[in-house]
Amino acid sequence: MSASPQATGASPAAFRRRSQLYRRHLQLGAAFADYQGAVAVAAYSDLGVERAQAERLGLADLSTWPRRGCTGADARQWLADLGRQPPNQPNKAAAREDGGLTACLAEQEFLVLQGLAADAGLPAELQGNWPANAAASVHPLPRADSHCWFALSGAKAPSTLAKLCAVDLSSRSFAPSDVAQTSLARVSAIILRQDLGATPCFHILSDSSAAEYLWDALIDAMQEFAGAPVGLEALRTLLDSAGGP
Amino acid sequence: MAADNRLPPPYGLLIDRRKPIAFSFENRAFVGFAGDSIASALAANGQWLLSRSFKYHRPRGVLSMAGQDANVLVQVPGEPNALADRRRISEGLCALGQNYRGTLATDWLSLIDRFARFLPVGFYYKAFFRPRGAWEKWAPLLRKVAGLGTLDPNHRSEPHDKEYRFYDIAVVGGGPAGLAAALAAAEAGARVLLVEENPLLGGSLAYSRFDAEGRRGESLRQELIAKVEANANIDVLVEALCNGWFADNWLPVIKGRRLYKVRAAQVLLCVGALEQPAVFRNNDLPGLMLGSAAQRLIRLYGVRPGRKAVVLTGNSQGYGLALDLQEAGAAVPAIVDLRHEPPADEFTEAAKQRGIAVKPGHAVYEARAGGGRLAAVEVRRILGQGQCAEQGESIDCDLLCMAVGYTPTYQLSCQAGGQLSYDDDSAMFRIDGLPESVRVAGSVNGVWDLDAVLADARRAAGAAARALGKSGAAVPDPVADGGRSPNFPWPIFPHPKGKEFVDYDEDLQIADILNAVNDGYEHVQLMKRYSTCGMGPSQGRHSALAAARLTAAATGRTVAQTGVTTARPPFAAEQLAHNAGRSFYPVRRSSMHHRHIEAGAQMMQAGAWLRPAYYGPKGGQEAAVAAEALSVRGNLGMIDVSTLGGIEVRGTDAGEFLNRIYTYGFAKQPVGRGRYALLTNETGLIIDDGVACRLHERHYYVTATTGAVGRVCQAMLRWNAQWRLDVSIADATSAWCGLNLAGPNSRAVLQNLCDDLDLSAQAFPFMGVRESQVAGIPARLLRVGFVGELGYEIHAPQHCGEALWDAVMEAGKSHGIQPFGVEAQRVLRLEKGHIIVGQDTDAMTHPAEVGMGWAVSRKKPFFVGGRTLEELAKTPLKRVLAGFVVPDPEAPRPLEGHLLLDGQRMIGRVTSCSWSPTLQKSIGLAYVPPQAAKPGAELDIKASKGLRVRAEVAATPFYDPQGKRQEM
Repeated sequence: MSASPQATGASPAAFRRRSQLYRRHLQLGAAFADYQGAVAVAAYSDLGVERAQAERLGLADLSTWPRRGCTGADARQWLADLGRQPPNQPNKAAAREDGGLTACLAEQEFLVLQGLAADAGLPAELQGNWPANAAASVHPLPRADSHCWFALSGAKAPSTLAKLCAVDLSSRSFAPSDVAQTSLARVSAIILRQDLGATPCFHILSDSSAAEYLWDALIDAMQEFAGAPVGLEALRTLLDSAGGP
Repeated sequence: MAADNRLPPPYGLLIDRRKPIAFSFENRAFVGFAGDSIASALAANGQWLLSRSFKYHRPRGVLSMAGQDANVLVQVPGEPNALADRRRISEGLCALGQNYRGTLATDWLSLIDRFARFLPVGFYYKAFFRPRGAWEKWAPLLRKVAGLGTLDPNHRSEPHDKEYRFYDIAVVGGGPAGLAAALAAAEAGARVLLVEENPLLGGSLAYSRFDAEGRRGESLRQELIAKVEANANIDVLVEALCNGWFADNWLPVIKGRRLYKVRAAQVLLCVGALEQPAVFRNNDLPGLMLGSAAQRLIRLYGVRPGRKAVVLTGNSQGYGLALDLQEAGAAVPAIVDLRHEPPADEFTEAAKQRGIAVKPGHAVYEARAGGGRLAAVEVRRILGQGQCAEQGESIDCDLLCMAVGYTPTYQLSCQAGGQLSYDDDSAMFRIDGLPESVRVAGSVNGVWDLDAVLADARRAAGAAARALGKSGAAVPDPVADGGRSPNFPWPIFPHPKGKEFVDYDEDLQIADILNAVNDGYEHVQLMKRYSTCGMGPSQGRHSALAAARLTAAATGRTVAQTGVTTARPPFAAEQLAHNAGRSFYPVRRSSMHHRHIEAGAQMMQAGAWLRPAYYGPKGGQEAAVAAEALSVRGNLGMIDVSTLGGIEVRGTDAGEFLNRIYTYGFAKQPVGRGRYALLTNETGLIIDDGVACRLHERHYYVTATTGAVGRVCQAMLRWNAQWRLDVSIADATSAWCGLNLAGPNSRAVLQNLCDDLDLSAQAFPFMGVRESQVAGIPARLLRVGFVGELGYEIHAPQHCGEALWDAVMEAGKSHGIQPFGVEAQRVLRLEKGHIIVGQDTDAMTHPAEVGMGWAVSRKKPFFVGGRTLEELAKTPLKRVLAGFVVPDPEAPRPLEGHLLLDGQRMIGRVTSCSWSPTLQKSIGLAYVPPQAAKPGAELDIKASKGLRVRAEVAATPFYDPQGKRQEM
């Protein structure tokens, strides 16, 4: 069972770190919650309704959720020592038991995403600023700020992405743990597939300055399939029903 | 209603008789059924006249019933040139004819038809331009009668969309070959897309006759469709047009308001063949149509195409057509067979048994009109190629069906690299030379017998599946094609009075093609351009074969040697909206964006970024900019500089790397210090500048200009791919927001926000760099002086941008802090004489020209562009960037790009110019010859509207030349 948010009814303006989209969420009547210092949309409406929405087609803003990147000749070993062993093959991600992902983006470049059900932020070693390990060639990349983070979930998610991305992200070609570094609606994006139980889910990380543009482009493309924003709790219930992480 | 040509069920596969639909054509009310096209619904009601031809305004009606010809172009609301034989009727639809004056039935421009002999091919090129100036008189008149249909500039298009699709095999064409190929490919394990442009799968199976009883087509169609629909490996798109072939099997498929961008590893083109008209006098009257068009009307729409029908044919299919017509209640007085000895087969036998008269070795020499459509045909014996007897027989009829042959639908194949050859025996084009990933099957491949078509499709599908690595795929041997070629080699019969149309779109007759050749345009491509044959809406689909035959005969070459013109995409006309579709225009916003809006900023675009130009109402720019600039000079301002590029350069070789990349020395730069960084390319030209901040022995944080950071980062990566230094390069532009707090009171305000940082001039001097916290937010602080005042650039994690803005705004409130925009920043930097790379530099600017020689190290063994700069230093400068002032405050202000003149000779240009609220005059930068760059020298600037402005060269910086204020 996922951990409950520490406090509900949080106001994003009370936090130093804010998603660039929080005004849009407020306009939609979002209820925010404080997840271990990260303020995120818990839900926009009834959780049952929202869960069904997430199963069909939902878009969640996870921009304040913990993540980190790193690069360097020793980065792979450094991550392994922290229990975040990355896959050997670029454009693949490895899932941890807590749902967190470690993606290999290139021979010496990696991305760590905190699991959606995790009840704590990333460990201090991963959160720390440069030099993370002065003795080794490891250079952290500030993915938590350079990128916004959306999760596009639901059976219609591949069809929605097919309208925005020239890479084949259909289920038969882009399996869970696959990663694509591509262009989405003409902005660069890292797309990782991590299904929530039986529900397809795509993590989308794109330039944080394009967050509002990309959110609008996704919402617009979702209209055809009656897609709508969903909160983090809807995604967590899908994880819970799948018995994991 | 004039006529009821509707046939009873089971005719009418496409229509739903339970749903009548009312619509109008030419303001007359009609009723059709759901599923009817405009043309079929009108035909059911006896309305055969649909349009007027392009040039002679001749009456035209149904030709192909397949959306392949220009005879059926009509106007519908908001859209000209809709295909009446493809566009479905809808309740209340108001359709109109096109290209007439008066009424469609009585078009007074049809008088042109009588003067056709005075309008030979190429006359357009020979007339209208003499005497000199005549074109100006002719042009308005010609433009009035040119073009088809009417555009509605106020029409709002429905949203159009695009979608990417990926398949192992794309099968284009859902006829018997396409259905069989899709099934075979899917059964071999391939993911298949089947694209069919018509509403029904089955192609000719749905309307043509494959046996004397007329049963096999429909039963086979049902069987194949059931299998296709049951196969999960096949996606089907009907009413979807594959409109081209592009490299790597990229197929644009248009369905409704969506453009599918399909990629397929293998493509099977099962696109069939296009039936061709015969060429004889008046072969364009309403009531003449292709045999397949009549069959489509009968089977698909339940419409009897005529009451008394003559069939002109050169193959057995024409006999099957005659059987169809007779069964549909039409009298068939004659089958006119171009062949002297029609072979006996089940179709000819059946026709004979039904008592239909056959005229072998005869042609239709002329069609005659009566009551606005075909009334009779004159049939004559054929004496030789294109020659008929002097006398003939007139047969009354209201329908003439032409079934004289086909061309393969070769357009997509040729776009894929296929070559057309012509087989004299079969009188038919053949496609060869396709790439390995594209195959043809069925009638497009010259296979006609139905069993052979199905076998050919399975062969092609098996080969495609094998190419995908599906080694178990069966590749059956070809089945001998028992069907004879349906093409009669010369269905062209000139008439002394002409009007034997080769190209309906452009009203081109036999004589036009021959005259083009006689005028010297012997190559088919030149003939096309001179005569416009094949350049109309149907792109030669019904004229290319006849034109090639005529050109070949006129030039003494074979049809194979003559060839056809290039069939470029798109295959059919497509709406601009499909290409516009879902468009993406990325916009970048800083994390402080909404605070700017809330503060009343007028936003401007800077590349993809939105930045505040100034704060205040529209139209108040000058006053707002002045106030903002003066606030910085005298008190306190802050500007969002999040768009500034940021690059992290890390590793043991970071210092050496910067030494090689930038012009200045960086290896000995102390930690905690920033240094101006000028970037040149290999030819010594300035491409960017910024500040390199050393945060650690092995870590530099380098700023770059907003628009160039991507290029700079790429250049760094490219160089280090050669140098192999131990350095990591990462574009961190979006990771950091930035805010420049500037003005004499900036230190006092910032001190309230920094608990653990000594901001004194001694502890944190000008060009110092520190890492600390501002209002609890981790930050990098840079003491730089772009605007020339005491100031701090605060770089913080992007998602903390709004909180940082709020904290600084709150702390500065008691000092009257004023946010300032890009326009004020431009003024402030100009007062300091700081250049903007890209504005004050161009593609030829090197450092010495802009007074940046001090930023170029001469002690380093190497940096990018260094060798060139050494050489440039040996030659005298040809221009320098100099400051200037405009002494007369009332003089018009020069703008960027305005020229500097010496008499009438251009000697330079203005790169920047602004009103300086501090100095109370216009100041600027301009390229001038070195000898004219002495302070006090006069400059003559040609400003807007040609006004001359007197300016004087002035030393820069214009403001605080000693730089004391920024170093406070």
